[in-house]
Amino acid sequence: MTIIEPRKHGSAADGRVGGRLSRFEGELKITGNATYALEYPVENVAHAVLVQSTIAAGRVVSVDASKALAAPGVLLVLTPEDDLGLMTAADWFGNRPENQPFHPLPKVVRYNGESIVAVIAESREQAGEAAKLIRITYEEAPAVADMDDPKASEGKLLDAMTVEWGDAEKALAASPVRIEAEYRTPREYHVAMEPHGLTAGWDGEQLTVWEPSQWTHGMARNYAEWFGIPLDNVRIVSPFIGGGFGSKGVALPYGAVAVAAAKKLGRPVRLAVTRPQNFTSYGGRAATRQTISLGASKDGVLLAIVHRGASETSVYMDYPEQTGAATPILYKVENFSSQSRVVPVNAVTPGALRGPGKNPSAYGIESAIEELAYKLAMDPLELRLKNYADHDYQSGKPWSTRRLREALTEGAEAFGWARRSHEPRSMRDGKSLIGWGIGCGTFPVIRAPSSAMIRVLKNGRVEVVSGAIDMGQGTYTILAQTAAEALGVSIEQVDVVLGDSRLPGSAIAGGSMLAGSITGAVHKTANAAREEIIGLALNDPNSPFRDTGANTLVVSEGRISVASGDGPSMTLPELLSVLGRDELEVTRNTLPDDAQSASDRMNAWTSMGRVQGPTMGDTSMHSWCAHFVEVRVDEDFGTVRVSRMVSAFDCGRLYNPKMVESQWRGGIIMGIGQALLEEGLVDPRNARTINNNVGDYLVPTNSDIPDIQVISVGVPDYEASALGGKGVGEVGIVGVAPAIANAVFHATGKRVRDLPITLEKLM
Amino acid sequence: MPRTIHLTLDINGKAHPLDVEPRVTLLDALREHLDLTGTKKGCDQGQCGACTCHVDGERVLSCLTLAAQVEGRQVTTIEGIAGDDGTLHAVQKAFLEHDAFQCGYCTPGQIMSAVACIREGHAGSDAEIREYMSGNLCRCGAYNSIVAAVRDAATTIAAGQKAEAA
Repeated sequence: MTIIEPRKHGSAADGRVGGRLSRFEGELKITGNATYALEYPVENVAHAVLVQSTIAAGRVVSVDASKALAAPGVLLVLTPEDDLGLMTAADWFGNRPENQPFHPLPKVVRYNGESIVAVIAESREQAGEAAKLIRITYEEAPAVADMDDPKASEGKLLDAMTVEWGDAEKALAASPVRIEAEYRTPREYHVAMEPHGLTAGWDGEQLTVWEPSQWTHGMARNYAEWFGIPLDNVRIVSPFIGGGFGSKGVALPYGAVAVAAAKKLGRPVRLAVTRPQNFTSYGGRAATRQTISLGASKDGVLLAIVHRGASETSVYMDYPEQTGAATPILYKVENFSSQSRVVPVNAVTPGALRGPGKNPSAYGIESAIEELAYKLAMDPLELRLKNYADHDYQSGKPWSTRRLREALTEGAEAFGWARRSHEPRSMRDGKSLIGWGIGCGTFPVIRAPSSAMIRVLKNGRVEVVSGAIDMGQGTYTILAQTAAEALGVSIEQVDVVLGDSRLPGSAIAGGSMLAGSITGAVHKTANAAREEIIGLALNDPNSPFRDTGANTLVVSEGRISVASGDGPSMTLPELLSVLGRDELEVTRNTLPDDAQSASDRMNAWTSMGRVQGPTMGDTSMHSWCAHFVEVRVDEDFGTVRVSRMVSAFDCGRLYNPKMVESQWRGGIIMGIGQALLEEGLVDPRNARTINNNVGDYLVPTNSDIPDIQVISVGVPDYEASALGGKGVGEVGIVGVAPAIANAVFHATGKRVRDLPITLEKLM
Repeated sequence: MPRTIHLTLDINGKAHPLDVEPRVTLLDALREHLDLTGTKKGCDQGQCGACTCHVDGERVLSCLTLAAQVEGRQVTTIEGIAGDDGTLHAVQKAFLEHDAFQCGYCTPGQIMSAVACIREGHAGSDAEIREYMSGNLCRCGAYNSIVAAVRDAATTIAAGQKAEAA
């Protein structure tokens, strides 16, 4: 556990919900004192290095580890021949196959870059050197390199993802104006600055894993089930995470390898996944393609949308990247059809990466809508407003809140959209062609039960405790604000303890569901703590408030007193003292009253079983945004620079605008990378990820990014969450890539339908 | 056992004796041998900037520097830029105020680069700051705030130097 103490701040209002309190744990991060997973001092630690496959498919015939075992410092070599005795763990929804062994170093190779062997030595340098001496003999099998491989299938149709209403094909055929186009996105990677890895140590049957985790309880369950030990025996420690973006929500095979090695050696093992190995040790965003057909009347009323999408998956699991996720809910349309397929290829199973589904989906529909605007000779902003969805046509439900119209109009105003000339290539500055484009984004409100503990201590401190995590979204900060406000104490008194599976369970930090879920739990717990304090003060024989005759008391700035201002007033530690108590501890959760058993709680904290989607209630709940982009394209060289951006968001109430603005910009910047730079390249001969490093897989640098103006147009949405917020982390990236593609079209007259938009596509 | 060499490294003004293999990088020496984990490993191949330290006042990538190369030179890490009494460096203060980080993992490298960037005289404009801070990747995307923080800290530092001169 790491106790985070607060920093000084500007104004008292900063310490309340909605205040611009600076990052609560910030001082630890700027001084180098925040301790990340691989930095915990662990006695007698051994170091593991992975050896990954160099073929795309086949079988490991033999592993010659003799030279490696003879190398200095080598303690152990694990190969597919070693039965580690592990069993397959449950999936995210808690479903677990029976009696299915799990081999984290498999004999059957399913993709290039799959971990096959682990070398463990006294030092990382020794393990790395010995790993080079491993000789693996394979029996190679035919492989499918990617979805463009001639051997790739058209994909498996996923019926559960089909969405239909009206008669889209018929309405499309009857539409006076039609467009149809295919849009493609390549493999994209998380590239969190902290590479994956862990330190694992056993103490008898007790396992401690120091590993960056977006979900400490869920990952503890992974390890417990793999190793057949009680959940309580596993502790995941993760108070700081060096970025996750969807990649650190589940334990991965290399984790099992390190834990198994630690068990075999009887000493702790540290395994640092190298940066190149990060490209194949877990999946990034799948490559996608989608065909979108739009039908409209001549005056721009959208009559039909037909969407046919496909995304890559692995040969061993169906993981859809839902290119139809945003398509049905951005616009009013009476006739709609969407189908999705997954195309198995020899690659690691793709995973969730910022704005999963909605992101490539918005690239498709938001590019298509501008293509339609040009076909209609209509301003793209006007077309979007004309087809504004008054309710959710997919679910038939009203929106809880949807301020996308305000995002579009206020964003346009701030950007100066009215000054745009519609014709492509009609705006320039010397050799630079200037283009302006719009892209809308959305992400659903997802909620999950969570729990928290509050401890009021005799020394005047108040601890907020939860197993929830902070990977930079601002969990520490907003929980301190939430607790301080609800309990009635100064933020200076509050400590926040997070990131440990031994602490009360919480929603995953994913799908933008954590902030709304955990602030709800902390708010409930802090209110309960305040009520308990007041109850004790009114009823305890030793309390001076007992004789005041007051029905209730107020707690404010850490003092408890009678509302009228008459009578006694004391600090919470003074009250604890007269009550003869050392501390007061309150734990609450947001599970329903009829689901409070131990197994209910275990399942809620370690599976997605109780996660609620956006339309499970009476309304349809989503975050919304509209991005306005200016690009400058060098007419001779085709280089694209984003020179200006305004993005307007409806994310409901903002718990801390300073943190939120950082997250929005972060999503937008990742979107700029997606639009212009990011592309996993696959060697068609052997399905190897060629550019498996951050010098070749390009992510945005400081000089790629202009000043980005972000605007909040949201209003509190108390259906979406207890404190009125909607998710902020995912939605920022959604709609950025099409906004840039649309701006590039406006600048150049060239429509690029496959990301990233690189210069050769504009020549 | 492999051969080790004995080094004495001057890190943040203190002498640190160290027995390591010759192939150990400055980054691994700091993180694995000296418990100075503020310096981060993001790629271990000189591409991300997370491991940026100062050697004799100039920024270097400690993952591409052998520990043995810096003996007899002054190494400064993120742990060494605050005052002896813990007073934060102007760049650290500005990073906190402008929220110039999220996850915090690239932050020590960003701050070490920023301190040097200002000292080099490369913080004259936002465009210049962007260019001279581009060796440090930030996947959380705090670039706008990093530019604001460097600009702000450069002004503070210049004002301090002016006051000292007067």
